Amino acid sequence: MGITAIVFWILSALTLFSAIMVLVSKNPVHSVLWLVATFFSISGHYIMLNAQFLAIVNVIVYAGAIMVLFLFVIMLMNLNTKTEMKKNLWMKLGGVISGGMLLWILISVVRTYAEQSKGHPKIASVNTGEIGLIKNLGHVLFTQYALPFELCSVLFLSAMVGAVVIGKKN
Amino acid sequence: MNAIILSAIFGIVMMLSSAFVKNTKAYKSIALVGLILLLLANICETYSHAWLNIPTFDMLEFSRFGLYFNTLAIACTILFSAFSQREIERVGRYIGEYFALIFFVLCGIFILSSYNNLLMLFIGIEIMSIPLYILTGARKENLKSNEASLKYFLMGSFSTGILLMGIALVYGGTGDFALVHHGQDISTSIAGAMNKRMSFLDVAGMILILTGMCFKVSAAPFHFWAPDIYDGSPSVFTSFMATIVKAGAFIAFIRLFAIREEETTILENAIIGVDWKMLFSIIIVATLLFGNITAIFQQSVKRMLAYSSIAQAGFMLFSLLSLNDTAKEGLLLYVVAYSVATIGLFGILAKMKDYTLAGYNGMAKSHPTLAFANAIFLLSLSGIPLTIGFFAKYYMLMAVIQTGGYMWVAIVGVIFAVISVFYYFRVIWSMYFKEGTVELKYPVTKGFKILAVVMALIIILLGAFPQVILNFLYF
Repeated sequence: MGITAIVFWILSALTLFSAIMVLVSKNPVHSVLWLVATFFSISGHYIMLNAQFLAIVNVIVYAGAIMVLFLFVIMLMNLNTKTEMKKNLWMKLGGVISGGMLLWILISVVRTYAEQSKGHPKIASVNTGEIGLIKNLGHVLFTQYALPFELCSVLFLSAMVGAVVIGKKN
Repeated sequence: MNAIILSAIFGIVMMLSSAFVKNTKAYKSIALVGLILLLLANICETYSHAWLNIPTFDMLEFSRFGLYFNTLAIACTILFSAFSQREIERVGRYIGEYFALIFFVLCGIFILSSYNNLLMLFIGIEIMSIPLYILTGARKENLKSNEASLKYFLMGSFSTGILLMGIALVYGGTGDFALVHHGQDISTSIAGAMNKRMSFLDVAGMILILTGMCFKVSAAPFHFWAPDIYDGSPSVFTSFMATIVKAGAFIAFIRLFAIREEETTILENAIIGVDWKMLFSIIIVATLLFGNITAIFQQSVKRMLAYSSIAQAGFMLFSLLSLNDTAKEGLLLYVVAYSVATIGLFGILAKMKDYTLAGYNGMAKSHPTLAFANAIFLLSLSGIPLTIGFFAKYYMLMAVIQTGGYMWVAIVGVIFAVISVFYYFRVIWSMYFKEGTVELKYPVTKGFKILAVVMALIIILLGAFPQVILNFLYF
């Protein structure tokens, strides 16, 4: 087992553990903090995939901006464990069954794929595997993906107009 | 490309005009002019006069089918905003912004009618949905509208997440976002070489994408959001959401699966045991069942129309089962038939005080023109001959029969079409054969009545000559 494999397994275990803790924690603030930990460990995965830019952006945007916003909202709403909703047992059962089936499908897909791709170890890296570097990413973003990039501005503009419509006083 | 750029520009124009134009009556005129210009621009492009030649790097591919769908969508939006302009003004204070959001939704629909890349599918779906979350909650002081908006937002976000997960898996399976490759030998690309080996990831991704898209078109079992949200949002915007937006989602849906079928992956998928046609038949039967059976028990006409829109989505899904030329033609006919009738019904409904079935009692005596138009719209929705709705259903069933082997789905469809007649005719029955007085919340102008009759005439004329619509697809 090389150093990459060891780092990978540690990061994966960390990701899974903190993701489960997000769900299990009773206190919403703890949940958010565990979510931050999840994002950090996913960023570690990105670095291992040679995608430094994505890793940094993930930390800045998700772990930084969005999570701080989350914390603010939770503290403003003053959520207690007492106000937790009562859930129907059948509902829980249905959720477990349907979620478990999805998990089953995804695991079997990945396993079949892993079995079939023996002897093709570099399958995860598309082309040369250097697309995640900031230079290549910028190049692709302003040539091949220029159109979606520009159209995203329409999306953000409509979101902004919507925020004004919803937020302004009548 | 004309339509995409122009609709975004008109969104900005409407946004700015709400800041600089003080006269609130002017907004609808600006919007109507904008829509008509949009229609002309799109027709120009259909006959190969694209104004701008932007290198899209295969992100978008403008086919005759997609462009013609754009034309129909814009025409329906013109009808919608001409027919319901007063209602849009009554929703709230931000009239200019509402029109701006409608233009942005149209921009998303134009992307969806001609995307050639899963990335564009995602952006188009988002541009189409985000303004809708706002429009649903436009009536801010109304608690039901708030609830509908929040519900729609949360559920829409989850479904988009599932869609995105599917796109990621497809990318993992094929190494590519593109639907069709132009000027590039597939066999040399990663996608071609790995296709067979990786198709399991691909199939899992497609199933997740299917789930996300089924949510957007409110197909069972992902339809639970639809009645609450259609009921809670302002009636004008319900009619926009249930017609033009749903049609846009359907175009994206059929485009994705039609291209996938041509690219042979679906055949390969069949080898590893995924029968897409069977999957679609199950979704269709479930959608028809839920939509029609629950619609029977509704007392509120608005809620009945919400369930009927689920049932109609079931009929539109027939085109995804068959995926042949008849299905595409039928989908266009269905879009026109369903949109015009539903816009008309909601336009009249929005004027009424009482949304229940009893509220329609005796409409034929007090408002004979409106009752006549309503009756034609309902007849068209239930698919009675001599209305366009009949031909829409006919094309859908014919497409299924042409595929062969799925006769039973067609038979189930016919049975549910007959069931749907029951609840549509209940409204006609209470309009014509029950005594009562119809109370209108808002006065009905002469222009409104004329437009209602014109829409009813469109339905009858197209019912007599359905080829008029389809001819433009080819000539």
